[in-house]
Amino acid sequence: MRRLIFAAFALACLAAPRAMAEDTLNPPHWQSEGIFGTYDKAALQRGFLVYQTVCAACHSANALHYRDLDGIGFSTEQIAALAAGVKLPTGPATLDDTFKNPYPDPQAAAAAFSGAVPPDLSTIAAARPKGTLYIFDLLTSYAAAPADLSLLPGHYYNTAFPGQQIAMPPPLKDGQVTYADGVNASATQEASDVAAFLTWAATPNLDSAKEIGLRAVLFLVFLAFIAIATKRKIWRETV
Amino acid sequence: MSSLSKPWLHIRLPVLESFRSYLNAPVLPREKKYLASLPVLIAGALSFQLLSGLVLSLFYNPADAFNSIQFIDRSVNYGWLIHAFHETGATMMFGAVYLGLLRSLWLRNYKAPGELVWFLSLAKFLLLLLIGYLGYVLADGAVSFWSLANAIAGAFSLSGVPGGIGVWFFGGPDGAGTLPRLAVFHAVLAVAILGILLLHQAARRGMEPTVARGVGLHPYYTSQIFVAFVVYALIFAVLVFFAPHFGENPLNRGPANPLVLPVTVTAPWYLLPLSNAGHVFAGVWGSLFAVVARIALLAALPWLDRSAPGNPPGFLHKFLVFVLALDVILICIWAVQAPSFIGGILLAFFTAYFFFHFLVLLPLTTLLEAR
Amino acid sequence: MAETIGEIVQETEVLVRRDFLKILNVAAGAVAVGAIAWPFIDALNPTRDALAIAQPIVDVSAVAANTALRFVWMGTPIYIRKLTPKQIADNQFVVTSTLPDPASYSDRVNPGYESFVVVIGLNTGTPCELLGNDPADPRGPFDGWTCPCDGSIYDPLGRLRSGPASKNLAIPKFTFLNDAQIQFG
Repeated sequence: MRRLIFAAFALACLAAPRAMAEDTLNPPHWQSEGIFGTYDKAALQRGFLVYQTVCAACHSANALHYRDLDGIGFSTEQIAALAAGVKLPTGPATLDDTFKNPYPDPQAAAAAFSGAVPPDLSTIAAARPKGTLYIFDLLTSYAAAPADLSLLPGHYYNTAFPGQQIAMPPPLKDGQVTYADGVNASATQEASDVAAFLTWAATPNLDSAKEIGLRAVLFLVFLAFIAIATKRKIWRETV
Repeated sequence: MSSLSKPWLHIRLPVLESFRSYLNAPVLPREKKYLASLPVLIAGALSFQLLSGLVLSLFYNPADAFNSIQFIDRSVNYGWLIHAFHETGATMMFGAVYLGLLRSLWLRNYKAPGELVWFLSLAKFLLLLLIGYLGYVLADGAVSFWSLANAIAGAFSLSGVPGGIGVWFFGGPDGAGTLPRLAVFHAVLAVAILGILLLHQAARRGMEPTVARGVGLHPYYTSQIFVAFVVYALIFAVLVFFAPHFGENPLNRGPANPLVLPVTVTAPWYLLPLSNAGHVFAGVWGSLFAVVARIALLAALPWLDRSAPGNPPGFLHKFLVFVLALDVILICIWAVQAPSFIGGILLAFFTAYFFFHFLVLLPLTTLLEAR
Repeated sequence: MAETIGEIVQETEVLVRRDFLKILNVAAGAVAVGAIAWPFIDALNPTRDALAIAQPIVDVSAVAANTALRFVWMGTPIYIRKLTPKQIADNQFVVTSTLPDPASYSDRVNPGYESFVVVIGLNTGTPCELLGNDPADPRGPFDGWTCPCDGSIYDPLGRLRSGPASKNLAIPKFTFLNDAQIQFG
């Protein structure tokens, strides 16, 4: 039932893109949810900005190439300029490089984080149950530790993380980035947008899949009717 | 399509004549149900798996498995779709296989003279399970990495002939050579199973009662099989495009991490009925026993079923088969939950009922019905 | 005569009506097969990775005036040269009819990026690689390129000035993504 409401909301949001930014937070939902949901490219671009500014400092995304960003709605020139601003060990990045890995090898990452290596974010939204909501909850559920809990050194209290003790410090703050489309960059909004971006990063072809799928299912329903009619006709002729 | 002179191709390829008579000979009875098309659907599904697997194998690199699959998903034209075809195709194919098994149990198709057909079905079932498991570990995800590591560790800890076979199959501890080897096995076994399919179909055709005023395979049963195929394709399309990772542990979509063990290392859903869910049987020998005992029971069905030949299955038999199916489904559901006290008890009960059905209930009830 | 035609028409009508459903069935099935086959076929086309090699992006921000960047694109040497203002002035208003292969200044450079000349670095006569990228190389009287094999002489825009060759240097397919990056292909 909830899914139906989300789908209806998604459809309504398709018709009113401007109002989207304020409505997605209470309760948190995303335009890509549901059978007919498509990615909100504006949210993906905002999420990418948050990712580049905040997350990319510690997290890798080795499966993503800069050229893939045309799926978010950037033009080739924009992506080329974006990539040119990224300093790789071999020089400025080009479209065909993978996203910059903040650490040259896993050992360096482990040394920098005392063993708690930040996971690669390319598939994180798909590799957790209800990944989009999980990422959003994780980023917004930092709290003060209860009095009876003694935190491990270098850990923070987070109600959404399994075990409640996470080595990542709270990454998002209000106004940490300035959105080009003028949306208010509250910490919750940033969390929602980066969750949308990471969902896209994990499954960039979701929109194509739903579009082709709708056509395929409709065609197959049509074909089923014809096949049944033909079979009955042939069998009537046996007598 | 009758002409006095034989077509050009038939003169030069005489086997086409026998194939055409196989298709058109009016010897089949008129009342076959739609579910009888299942073996043909499974054969079609297997061919589809072979095609999609072939395309995937052009880009899959066992030395860097997870990243090569990401490459397929992101950079190969329609790679994501071919990958989804292959994954969902496996789920659909096993769904059809289990449905076919259930149907054979329901209708008592394993009774004489159908034992060879039954054994070939079981051989097909086992090979498909092995191929499916290999495909699962080839993905090198966070969970399947550990499933493989456990399997190899288990194989090396067994002694005697089973240990020897296990060690021979994996060829060494989990290392750089394992996935390339398993990738070849996965492909070769998939092609070999086509041979078993042909044999199975030939044996099944031998079981068909020929009828004097019957109907030909074409166009009567080809049209029926086509309807079944379209329904199958419809379900397949819904899954492939809207839920391609149905039945999969989502954690497996992240890369393998030798330093982090998942809370539950699950097998793909189609292996769960044979798994040692809940560790009802202790240790590695117990897990081996769980698989072997279940297959042995299925293979012994023609003799466990004490009904008279030609006796149609009564209501009691059908009810028991239905309860058995429920039992297996419940085992699968509880096998993937996090371990718990009540879960352990339930799994022990369900497993015991499975053995109870084959060893006690089935012989007794069929004897009763035979009177 | 009329009856036989009428009969034939009637029979055809009956046949089409009876078999229409079967024909539709087969046709729809063929459409389905084609639709499924296309992703398999397209998957064997070059991947985005391979297209990247086929359509590389080159950074030209480091190319100093009067020097050229040489790189190999799928086996062919490409020269990207930055012209000095003197070279531009000397060559901009040459009367094209005096050239062996007439081409104007605007034919040879991209609008907005007039100081960059991008050519395939092979002589159009005897196919040898040209000299002239480095200022110390023999560039000929027009300060362009020369061919060490047959002595053809080119100007800095890659136009032929004299020599056994008969055509200007070929220009590859490229676009300027921005001031610093060129994408080929």
